[in-house]
Amino acid sequence: MRLGVTDRMSVSGNKPAATRDWLGLKKELPRRRRYLLTLSSFLLPLALWSLVSYVPWLWHPLVRVTSPGEVEAFSTGVEVPRADFERENRDALAQHFEPAQGFRVNPPYLPPPHAVGRAFFSAFRTPPRLPDEPWLYQSLGHSIRTIFWGFLLSSLIGVPLGVLGGAYRFFARLQEPFLEFFRYLPAPAFAALCVAVLGIYDAPKIAIIFIGTFFQQVLVISNTVRRVDPALVEAAQTLGARGWPLLRGVIIPGSITGIYTDMRILLGWAWTYLIVAEVVGTMSGITYFINQQARYRNFPNVYAAIAMIGIIGLGIDFVLAWIGNRAFPWQRTSRRAGRLLALSQPAPASHYRVGAVPMFRRGAVRR
Amino acid sequence: MSTPDPKTVPIRDLLPDYREQLPEVAARFARIRERPVILSIRGLEKSYGHGDARTVVLDRLSFEVRRREFLSVVGPSGCGKSTLIRIIAGLDEATGGEVLLDGQRVEGPGPDRGMVFQGYTLFPWLTVKGNVMFGLKLRGKSKKAADREAFQWLDLVNLEEFADAYPHELSGGMKQRVAIARALANEPRILIMDEPFGALDAQTRAQMQSYLLQIWKSVDVTILFITHDLEEAAYLSDRVLVMGANPGRIVELIENPVPRPRRREQFISRPFLSLKRRLAELIHADGAAEELKLPLTMRPCAEDSVE
Repeated sequence: MRLGVTDRMSVSGNKPAATRDWLGLKKELPRRRRYLLTLSSFLLPLALWSLVSYVPWLWHPLVRVTSPGEVEAFSTGVEVPRADFERENRDALAQHFEPAQGFRVNPPYLPPPHAVGRAFFSAFRTPPRLPDEPWLYQSLGHSIRTIFWGFLLSSLIGVPLGVLGGAYRFFARLQEPFLEFFRYLPAPAFAALCVAVLGIYDAPKIAIIFIGTFFQQVLVISNTVRRVDPALVEAAQTLGARGWPLLRGVIIPGSITGIYTDMRILLGWAWTYLIVAEVVGTMSGITYFINQQARYRNFPNVYAAIAMIGIIGLGIDFVLAWIGNRAFPWQRTSRRAGRLLALSQPAPASHYRVGAVPMFRRGAVRR
Repeated sequence: MSTPDPKTVPIRDLLPDYREQLPEVAARFARIRERPVILSIRGLEKSYGHGDARTVVLDRLSFEVRRREFLSVVGPSGCGKSTLIRIIAGLDEATGGEVLLDGQRVEGPGPDRGMVFQGYTLFPWLTVKGNVMFGLKLRGKSKKAADREAFQWLDLVNLEEFADAYPHELSGGMKQRVAIARALANEPRILIMDEPFGALDAQTRAQMQSYLLQIWKSVDVTILFITHDLEEAAYLSDRVLVMGANPGRIVELIENPVPRPRRREQFISRPFLSLKRRLAELIHADGAAEELKLPLTMRPCAEDSVE
């Protein structure tokens, strides 16, 4: 049987088509490939780190001395630059002394993955060196509390102001010029002032997070509220809505998913201010832990603590996205801002429509 | 003198004058003229700028719509038909003249003038039922009463079983039916529709037109219908308001000679064609639909002559 033109094309075109699928411009990938890529995005940096850590000839600029031989400058356990090690051994050999023995290592500030992995667990179980130092979980708890209060206070004032600014030109004109000016003032610049006014403990730290978040928050949320579809507002007006019912019934629900996404992004910013905030006054929280561990040159713990900040941040975002998906069933919020979440997504809204016959949320059909 | 051979006479010359009305049509218009005036537009004017930079969008429009009348507004793009209904709905302000609803001057939008927009303006965060209940709740109805009424209106547009669906789960035609139910639930004095079926495919549009006629028949409502589709205007309306552009003005207010009840078979009836021909003349005479010649020369490879 002769193949038609289209048949031939599809047969010969099989392989390129598969490659195209991986790199389709703005095309969603199948679920398995999404999983694979998400996994790879973590595995690739890890592989790079492992290569540098475990393959000695790639970097390993130091030599750890296992036996100093008769080289006076060395003692067991010291780490010296490779060039120094070789020079000393050359000198030793020239004078018929016993050369030192050792193996190549990376500098202590680049621990191998397994050490950091171990530190993830050991850091929690290791009691603090000084009696008045906090445990790791206490440090983390302290940090989360600081963020929580700073972000909560900022949101309690910032969200209503943002909504007002977005809904009414009056408030926008009144508040935005000043906020625009103030948001350029870096929050750390207020550190000394915060300590002078609020003391040295948690209050100035919360204030720094507040200053770092609040001004952006009002402006960002105003902007989101302003983007509510004006056609929806007009539709509501022709249905008789005005004033507070219009604000509550249309403008707020119309922008709530946007505001929610804004809040998730702003919470990320609050985390970046945390490290600055925690060095203000008495150092505290995870920053204190990181600092102490670096001072003890316990670098695996330092990396583990830094990674924990990322994991906590991502975890909170994950939970918020999950909540958002359930709180706003008419819209898949995290599809816009989703990162890792792309995996746990239900099918996009457009998948719900099959031809002209709509399919429903479970149990939504009333007969 | 011999009579011309009917086979060679162009069809349009065989059509009656669009002002010729069958007795029942004339009687119907006589009855309509006895009804009270619902909407009265008096010397409505809208312009932007001052002095030399002044652009007149609407130039002293005046007309009246009577109770339960179906009035279509057609005109070339840029003739200000959308501006006109936005002013009537209270979403824009006129620079002169007035809009009277039941003799009362209207200021700003209100529930007495329901509106169905071309774009889908259902509230995406509310279910179908929630959308229909929106206006009812604003009027202070209890949740139970609003709920019951919403179901009645959804029943009217035959979407009762979709009450708990969200708008994104509906097709375009269904969305517009919900929008109609939502507007009607407020029991407006007049229903203003701004090219409501413009975004729908031809089949759905035809279906929606017949739905609308049925709804209009069973509900006491006056309809002001904007469209650019001349057949749609001829099929649906009692009278057709033809507007011209630059500045936006009334060219003619035509009484539709097509008898009711309307059926799609009438699309090739004499009164229908005579009205359509008149509408086309008026709108094309305005220059908006002039055939534009593209400055193309035939490509050498385009061998086949298609004309």
